[in-house]
Amino acid sequence: MTTETRVVGKSLPRLDASGKVTGTAVYAADFALPGMLWGKIVRSSEPHARIARIDTERARRMPGVRAVLTAADVPDVRYGGALKDETVFARDKVRYVGQPVAAVAAVTAEAAEAAAAAVEVSYEPLPPVLDLAAALAPGAPLVHEDWRTYTAIPILHRDGNVCNRARIVTGDVERGWAEADRVFAHRFTTAMVHQGYTEPRAAVAAWDSAGQVTVWSNTQLPFEIQNTLAEILQVLPGCVRVIVPGIGGGFGGKLRVGVEHFAVLLARKAGRPVKVLTTSEEELTAAYPRQGTLIELKTGVTRDGRITAKEGRIWFDTGAFAGSGPGVASVATLVLAGPYRIPNLFLEGYAVYTNKTNCGSYRAPSGPQANFAVESQMDMIADALGLDPLEFRLRNIVREGDEGPTGQTLTAVGLEECLLRAAKAIGWENRKPGPWRGKGLACGWWTTTGGSSGVYVKINPDGTVGLNTGAVEIGTAALTGAAQILAEELGVNLADIHVVSADTFATPFDFGAQGSRTAFAVGNACRAAVAELKRKILAQAAAHLRVEPEALALRDRHVVADGTRVSLGEVARLSQLSGGGLIAHGTFIAPPTPYDAKRVEAHVYPAFHSPSFHAHAVDLSVDPETGDITIHRYVVAQDVGFAVNPTYIEGQIEGGVAQGLGQALSEEIVYAGGRVLNANLTDYKMPTTVDVPRVESILVQHPSQVGPYGAKGVGEPPNIEPPAALANAVAAASEVRVMTLPLTAEKIALALRGRERA
Amino acid sequence: MTKVALTLTVNGELHEVLTEPHRSLLDVLRTDLGLTGTKENCLEAECGVCTVLVDGAAVNSCILLAAECPGRAITTIEGLGGPDGLHPLQQAFIDHGAVQCGYCIPGMILSAKAFLDEHPAPTEAEVREALAGNLCRCTGYQKIADAVLAAARRLMADRGASGEALHGARSSSG
Repeated sequence: MTTETRVVGKSLPRLDASGKVTGTAVYAADFALPGMLWGKIVRSSEPHARIARIDTERARRMPGVRAVLTAADVPDVRYGGALKDETVFARDKVRYVGQPVAAVAAVTAEAAEAAAAAVEVSYEPLPPVLDLAAALAPGAPLVHEDWRTYTAIPILHRDGNVCNRARIVTGDVERGWAEADRVFAHRFTTAMVHQGYTEPRAAVAAWDSAGQVTVWSNTQLPFEIQNTLAEILQVLPGCVRVIVPGIGGGFGGKLRVGVEHFAVLLARKAGRPVKVLTTSEEELTAAYPRQGTLIELKTGVTRDGRITAKEGRIWFDTGAFAGSGPGVASVATLVLAGPYRIPNLFLEGYAVYTNKTNCGSYRAPSGPQANFAVESQMDMIADALGLDPLEFRLRNIVREGDEGPTGQTLTAVGLEECLLRAAKAIGWENRKPGPWRGKGLACGWWTTTGGSSGVYVKINPDGTVGLNTGAVEIGTAALTGAAQILAEELGVNLADIHVVSADTFATPFDFGAQGSRTAFAVGNACRAAVAELKRKILAQAAAHLRVEPEALALRDRHVVADGTRVSLGEVARLSQLSGGGLIAHGTFIAPPTPYDAKRVEAHVYPAFHSPSFHAHAVDLSVDPETGDITIHRYVVAQDVGFAVNPTYIEGQIEGGVAQGLGQALSEEIVYAGGRVLNANLTDYKMPTTVDVPRVESILVQHPSQVGPYGAKGVGEPPNIEPPAALANAVAAASEVRVMTLPLTAEKIALALRGRERA
Repeated sequence: MTKVALTLTVNGELHEVLTEPHRSLLDVLRTDLGLTGTKENCLEAECGVCTVLVDGAAVNSCILLAAECPGRAITTIEGLGGPDGLHPLQQAFIDHGAVQCGYCIPGMILSAKAFLDEHPAPTEAEVREALAGNLCRCTGYQKIADAVLAAARRLMADRGASGEALHGARSSSG
């Protein structure tokens, strides 16, 4: 293969850009049908209570109301991911403030809201489980008293309020403590945070007379939603069509069924299309946010800075239902190990029920929390040993061919280069350039999630190319990246590619917009499709040109041979006259990553596939009076394998850092007594234009063996290291070590006051 | 509720709307006029995705009553640029990779338009200050700031080419 490329590796504009800047791109929240009703959810006002009575009579009689539903009106089904513990509506008891109890549909959103308010629910309060400590205390009330009866994937380790305990055991930590000169133990906490997508969750559902329902929603996983809706409705998946018109951000918050089931059930009851759109209050009280955590880490090191053992536990406050908890708790153990060579590991991740909203997945689930603890502790240990934090990391990081925590063999390991280039860029040699100013760094590793992808690739009679994919363009430009790969391989231009996506009836299967996988997996599926399509194109062209297929090549939108050529469009037209047109099906599934199964227990995600490596470095000042942070520079060096489109990879890095800074510095869903205190976008503080510094991106490229052109997943990683990098820089600048997120100015200022008094 | 007849001037066209007097401009634009380029999210003027121009000024259409708008010139994203091409801001957002999911972009571009009309040669800090009411969760704002600065330079150059004096541009949009 020649190293010169025409389309991949170039910073070309995304294919859907002009629709998005002109307002013509249609998002699920924009979607409407004639005769459409509006649905509204009635939500629990109590964190934990028995439902004594639901009276819907007044609501049913209100003007414009066309349907009212409670648990009594829908199939008694428990659904969920690894653990099926959710119901559409609370039955008998409620488990968090915001849990759906009933739903109404009416001719206007206003009428629906009024009717929802008119549904009367009487509660008999039960003692709530308000935090991790309460949930884990001996004799704690059970959030799910019938937890043993729930269906779960068999490997989960469950016990009362713990809905999974995942474990990695490698070597023998006792031996590791014996070999250590010093052992450090620390405790960290992180807050619950929301993905903050700007488009609310939205769904429109319409049934046809044949009993088939179509749902237009902004889900990241249309094929999973198809199956979940079929399960909830007790119909076959073939009756459920899910289409994603467009999606205004997701970041993991739109993976699981959100409002689609309400739209579908209300539409069936009312006999008319129904739209459901969440409010900001619903988003911040009843969505799928990132779990708050408690983390304990114990690490043994030799005097010269070699890590001999690590014992770590992370508890996820997963809320009233498991959500993504069992899987997230598993992934967390790989993050707790860190990108370090540690011979002895004992790591556990717990997903714990409480009476809070059901937590889910958020960009690099578990990554920022676990990395915050690991990388904060790395700096604390380096300081205690009198070692430079960079040097301490370099003595322990994984390198080419090393073994990962569960025995996987690590390849294409660009971590050292990331650390050295980030440190060089930030001017690491001068770590404390002035009073109240300091530099910090953090590094990590992450996975490129597997799952299969299929595409159809079709040549149009004008020589343009249709890319038909079940994947969702969530905003990353991943499908533009896949189209670049397709264009490269077919010898056409990016602008020649037309994408059709995300329709469970019309497009091939795709595992969905999750886990940094879309460009990687769809790109590879495109390559597979081209391999097949090329045979058909060349055979058709060879017959037309009267040459051998072997003498032909695809170039410049033509099939070319010595001295002769025919356009792709002409070949497509010939095929349409005789052979049903030029189309091919390409598929991809990442090969399994071998690991040592003896080292893991109740583990849903035992190895990182085609792992990426990254380092963040920040230079900041702390205001000694207010504790406010001013970021002077922020550098990211990320091993992306191969940069399919550098501009949009920078976009992932810049956006991921901004989101990470929010979690690091200002964002928290604040609960008190089981109620959210800040369910609006003024009090839930996401970074604005004036809060985010310029981010300098360094794209390190150690090609993966599996990814297209060597690419690795790039979307999630930039979100992982900001909290730790910030905490380490704050410590360098002020000698204040904050071990709880968010790392607010208030916490820093209080710590400084405490030090003055001491 | 008694409905009122409103005549709204949107993107230079007159629209007759018969509606309840308490409805927001956002709701009327999206539901009655089908102009869904103006986006809906928080409905509390906290996020900026619903930004439109009213007599040239950027406003959150979610908290402005439609009944307050007759006689005022409303511009939505559909009214920027035109069949002949994109507005320089729209083109700059594409060229600088400033668009990801895109849901905030119509509001972002209109806020930038209102700002550049009054501040044709801004610094990056001024651009960021001007857009602080528009949340974006995808981009980290850097490429958005770059795009607005690039558009400002192009608009200045275009004005220079057309012989329009800079101070004239400043005073004409007050």
